Amino acid sequence: MIAVKDLVEIYSDGTKAVDGISFEVKEGEFFGFLGPNGAGKSTTIKVLTTLLRKTEGKVSVAGFDVDRSPAEIRKNIGVLSQETSLDVDLTGKENLRLQGRLQQMRGRGLEERVDELLRLVQLEPVADKPAGRYSGGMRKRLDLASALIHSPRLLFLDEPTTGLDTQSRAAIWQYLEGLNKKERLTIFLTTQYLEEADQLCNRLAVIDHGKLVAGGSPAELKESVGGETITLLLRDVSLRPKAKEVLKAVQGVREVVDSDGGFTAYAKNAGQIIAGIVTSLDRNGIQLDFLSISIPTLDDVFLRETGRRIRSDELSRRETEPFLM
Amino acid sequence: MTLLYDSQSLVGRYVTKLIRNPTLLGTNLATPLLFLLLFSQLLTKFGEFLPAASGGYLSFLTPGVIIFSAMIAAPQGAVSLVNDLNSGFLSKMLLTQANRSAILLGRLVTDMLVAVLESILTILLAFAMGVQFSAGLPGILLILLTVAFFEFALSGIFLAIGIRTRKTETISAVSGVLFFPLIFISSAMFPLSFFPSWAQTISNYNPVSYASDVIRNLVSGGLTMATLASAYGLIGFLAVATFAATLYQFRKVVS
Repeated sequence: MIAVKDLVEIYSDGTKAVDGISFEVKEGEFFGFLGPNGAGKSTTIKVLTTLLRKTEGKVSVAGFDVDRSPAEIRKNIGVLSQETSLDVDLTGKENLRLQGRLQQMRGRGLEERVDELLRLVQLEPVADKPAGRYSGGMRKRLDLASALIHSPRLLFLDEPTTGLDTQSRAAIWQYLEGLNKKERLTIFLTTQYLEEADQLCNRLAVIDHGKLVAGGSPAELKESVGGETITLLLRDVSLRPKAKEVLKAVQGVREVVDSDGGFTAYAKNAGQIIAGIVTSLDRNGIQLDFLSISIPTLDDVFLRETGRRIRSDELSRRETEPFLM
Repeated sequence: MTLLYDSQSLVGRYVTKLIRNPTLLGTNLATPLLFLLLFSQLLTKFGEFLPAASGGYLSFLTPGVIIFSAMIAAPQGAVSLVNDLNSGFLSKMLLTQANRSAILLGRLVTDMLVAVLESILTILLAFAMGVQFSAGLPGILLILLTVAFFEFALSGIFLAIGIRTRKTETISAVSGVLFFPLIFISSAMFPLSFFPSWAQTISNYNPVSYASDVIRNLVSGGLTMATLASAYGLIGFLAVATFAATLYQFRKVVS
């Protein structure tokens, strides 16, 4: 359904937003693009949806080349952009009807589809109210419905739940799972939320600084971390290098990665070696402030591949990044 | 014919928006209608310098105010397009199968409709104040056609600026700077014989003068083919130039 080979996107100011990525999405898949803000997710989606011309590489969507047949691609795809774009003066129903008309639908077929979608996203009771009076979650649901109006084969979602409350997010997840499982709709989703990628996607590509750093099903990715995650915080940070050597020497520890104020170590059957870890550190005069064992998350996958966590990165960026569009 | 269908869909959208925001039309019309009321009451002495058959200063002023009331639709339309550009709604339209040109055409047709509507309201007020339209209903229809055509030519300037800068503030600023010389250094509001010769020269090249003269001849009588042809020729030339500028800027956004 989607085939991307060596895609490069360089903006006119010289920024390399996407740096030679390749991946495929098969029909019926729920494919996720996971990465922190500014990783290149939105840029990739803009190229795939014909909104942005690629600098280099080969990209085909729904069987058509993005450069040669953008119009054919647009017929086959639905797109939910990151920023909700509705006409706030028009009612929910009028918004959907306009979108349907622009997708070359008309007459009874269009009216029936509008009603069907309003039912699907549970906006029937407010269908005749101006979209400007909708809450954030309702607007997103209406936007989702308008992306589906022409029954596309492939749906693109660019951070569909960013900025939504938990309840609205859960509702969007539910619709998306239904569309993918019941209607066999192929979905391409970008997200910076680990839980979202984990819960919804059959397959993931992890992207950072315009490059793919890992790929596979959420389960495979987490398994690749190698057993459980042990997080340690040192009382005296200056003992870091020594502590790392000690940790690596403990039998059963597979890998040790630096993380804020301490380490993250990966081990099979972590529970059984934890005593060994504590004893070894203690014998070397290294005291711990904190220790925990957990099942690996996708964040651990990201940490192992990039040396950073998505979460902390996301927070620090959000404060410094200027508000655009 | 997706161009027609899509343009029609978009005109429908803009008209609905206008109906939901009726105050916008009112705000637009306030200044020109105020001009009509104030100038016609304050500057009555001007009538003494006009030919006896012309119907006094009120009749002289009316065509200028009709053109002014129509001109205001142009920046307004560009503001609406810039808002779509910045809210992501334009991208959303570009992601559909809609004809690209329809996005511009729908906007231009709406602006022409608004200009015509504003002119009709101005004509009604003038009529209520006692202005006689000597060319009758066919004359009024030709006035509205002239207004629509003039509006089309003017819209291109603001659409091109809007798409280029993506700022509604720039559109307002440019319209403020552009409109007053265009209106006042032309034959729209005052008889040319009042002007110093430099202003008369400028006025002779000002498209607003040409459009006003056509309308004035339709109000007071005496329209010649030559006046009509030179006005439509100049406005047509302007329309081609501004539409080309708009298309050029729009292509950069679309591709």
